[in-house]
Amino acid sequence: MDTTRRDLIRIAAAAVAVGPLRAATPKFFTPHEFQLVEELTDIIIPTDDHSPGAKVAKVTTFLDGRLAEDFEDEPRKVWRDGLRLVDQLSQEWHGKPFLESTPEQRMGFMERISKNEMHPEKPEEIFFREIKLQAARIYYTSSIGIHEDLNYKGNVMLKEFAGIDASTVPVHVPDVK
Amino acid sequence: MEGCDAAASGATDNIFSKDRRFKDTVYWANMQYPTSSPEVDFKTTYDAIVVGSGAAGGMAAHVLTTHGMKVLLLEAGKKLDVTAELKSMEWPYDHPRRGEMPPTYHALAQNEYTIRNPPYAAGSKFPHVESYIQGWSGPDYSKNLVVDEKDHPYTGTKYAWVRARVVGGKTNLWGRLALRLSDYDFKAGSRDGFGMDWPISYADIEPYYDKVDLYLGISGHKENIPWLPDGKFQRPIRLTTAEIKLREGLGKMDRVLTPYRAGVTTDGLKHNKYRSRCYGRGACDRRAGGCDIHAAFDSPTGLIQPAMDTGNLTLRPNSIVYEVTVDKTTGKASGVSFIDAETGKTYQVKSKAVLLGASTLESARLMMLSKSSLYPNGIGNTSGHVGHNFCEHIMGPGITGLVKELVGKPRTIDDGRPGSFYVARFRNIYDKQSDFIRGYGFEGSSGTTMFPDNALSTKGFGVSYKKAVRDYAGAYISMGAFGEVLPRYENYVTIDPKVKDRWGVPVLQFQYQFGDNEKKMAADMAVTAKEMFEASGIEVVDVQREILTEGWSIHELGTSRMGNDPKTSVLNQFQQSHDVPNLLVVDGSSHVSASCQNPTWTIMALCWRSCDHLADEMKKGNV
Repeated sequence: MDTTRRDLIRIAAAAVAVGPLRAATPKFFTPHEFQLVEELTDIIIPTDDHSPGAKVAKVTTFLDGRLAEDFEDEPRKVWRDGLRLVDQLSQEWHGKPFLESTPEQRMGFMERISKNEMHPEKPEEIFFREIKLQAARIYYTSSIGIHEDLNYKGNVMLKEFAGIDASTVPVHVPDVK
Repeated sequence: MEGCDAAASGATDNIFSKDRRFKDTVYWANMQYPTSSPEVDFKTTYDAIVVGSGAAGGMAAHVLTTHGMKVLLLEAGKKLDVTAELKSMEWPYDHPRRGEMPPTYHALAQNEYTIRNPPYAAGSKFPHVESYIQGWSGPDYSKNLVVDEKDHPYTGTKYAWVRARVVGGKTNLWGRLALRLSDYDFKAGSRDGFGMDWPISYADIEPYYDKVDLYLGISGHKENIPWLPDGKFQRPIRLTTAEIKLREGLGKMDRVLTPYRAGVTTDGLKHNKYRSRCYGRGACDRRAGGCDIHAAFDSPTGLIQPAMDTGNLTLRPNSIVYEVTVDKTTGKASGVSFIDAETGKTYQVKSKAVLLGASTLESARLMMLSKSSLYPNGIGNTSGHVGHNFCEHIMGPGITGLVKELVGKPRTIDDGRPGSFYVARFRNIYDKQSDFIRGYGFEGSSGTTMFPDNALSTKGFGVSYKKAVRDYAGAYISMGAFGEVLPRYENYVTIDPKVKDRWGVPVLQFQYQFGDNEKKMAADMAVTAKEMFEASGIEVVDVQREILTEGWSIHELGTSRMGNDPKTSVLNQFQQSHDVPNLLVVDGSSHVSASCQNPTWTIMALCWRSCDHLADEMKKGNV
């Protein structure tokens, strides 16, 4: 599995920092939902030695804005229901809402709902896939994702094309009628 | 592969700014675009009216105005400042929706084409519905270039029809793969016994391919493949480590992977002040297409603007031509009738010749709509072949592979180029397949991109997920096939008796489906894709076998084919109607077969040849 000791330490640290750092009122999420999404996406894409994670990249703020303006109600329903389910299951499994559970419990929770990631069946498994895809799409189109995490070098003007000349590999075309 | 890293790192030098968020416009400050057109003179008789301003219409305008003819170019779509629309260098995070469209816009999804029948936008609650290409990355930049499906319905069999009603048409967005056809295509009928030969051979069109290459610019690497002739190439793009590996592997199989032959000027064009040379920004490959410095060919800067500078061209956008009018005494075309797309007013305008370049399907629609007592089946349709023999390229099968030695390697610029690679056709050239005729080529790409697609397919979460996305992001290579669809009479479009578009013009009804030959060919594509990756030491990650909906290639062709026999063809070898000599159809409609090679360069070469011929005939008084 993908969890490491470092993930746990990070979650513990993040739990301490929650609250005073939160910014403007969300457009769609309730303050509680917003905080929950921040935590879920930051567990998926955490800050580590290499680069800042989803929370610093403001993944939740972007998602909140898109959901608020979505032409359809369905995506809003998916998130509202999904987040309610997260707290409900956390209560069921660990006796506490997600944000009040321990780092170990949160990690265990995420491992449990991500088990069938590529073939999700249960509602919480389907919702994990949704959180993951949105987190990835938003994080890797953010400045932090593109430049600091991926160290992407393109989208610049080049004197010469990058790569290797095809002429370094001669090809032979057989004679045909 | 040490050479790779050296070449790539040498190329990371940004010649304009160390700031990667460079937004300066200084490098195209000298471009003057667009200049205004004179007003239409409804009292005059133009030498020629050209309908449609894409690759074909733009080329017709260019060639005819160069011959000194007074030309009226009518475009159904609007005139847009495409340079401003595209914002090619804008970073996703500088766009309020990361390049996505506003919430009132919906792009048709792949399954909407397969589970429903056209018209696909009917009943949609979204105010705007656009075709599937608007589901690609950065659709907000192209949303005004393509049509709103709600205004432009069509009916019949399933078909993913992509249309751009705008000055320049689809050339504003095209995939840029600029390939020549050969006598393996022009004489395919004689080679395998299916269908007709073209009424021309490669020798007839070769000088015009050369002209197109030199006038518009093309990037490519000479390979001496008889069935994929080389052109007058400018500087080729380069290959990634993965592509070099595949080129080596294919070499052992007598197959050729060549750098993308791009309709892009990589060295610049001294004769065209509206276009910059390519600076390898990669923007054209990152989105649906388009180039805001016009290094990639587009009709407005490559053809129309220079034509305007001759003083012989009048361009009128928002002009929906719905009829080619006929002089009852001579039987010739006398001009056209059109509707102003904004005011709904109708106009008639006269000319000595009419050239249709509205696209394969729109030109056929217009001919069939142009019914008169002389031509009850539509103008130029005595043969009954207009709308028939409709063909294109079949798509879907392809492959994704992993080059293991690239995992975890330092980042290189792999997408700083206007395309990646092309694998030339190999089927039914020096072998003979037992279950299908003709062939297919592959378009592919590899390496690092701005958005790491593997982020969506990598399992797990946390630190290890982030690292896996990073390490593997540049290590994939993929390709997909484009196969020749046979031209068959029973594949056709006709006018729907009931449904009309927003302007009251009757729409097309499709009766078009892939046949047995295409399906067998598609099965073979997946097999050969796998064998080529395996032979090259590339780990196969996924083989795609599913065929995409008809129309997906956006290479529709053949609804008014050329030929020597007026009973079985619509046009002669100079794209002139057999019935109406001053009516030409200069777009993909005229193609006798689809080849597997992308059509745009052939459309323009043929059009140039036909327009030279028309100008000559008009000077002699023969038209």
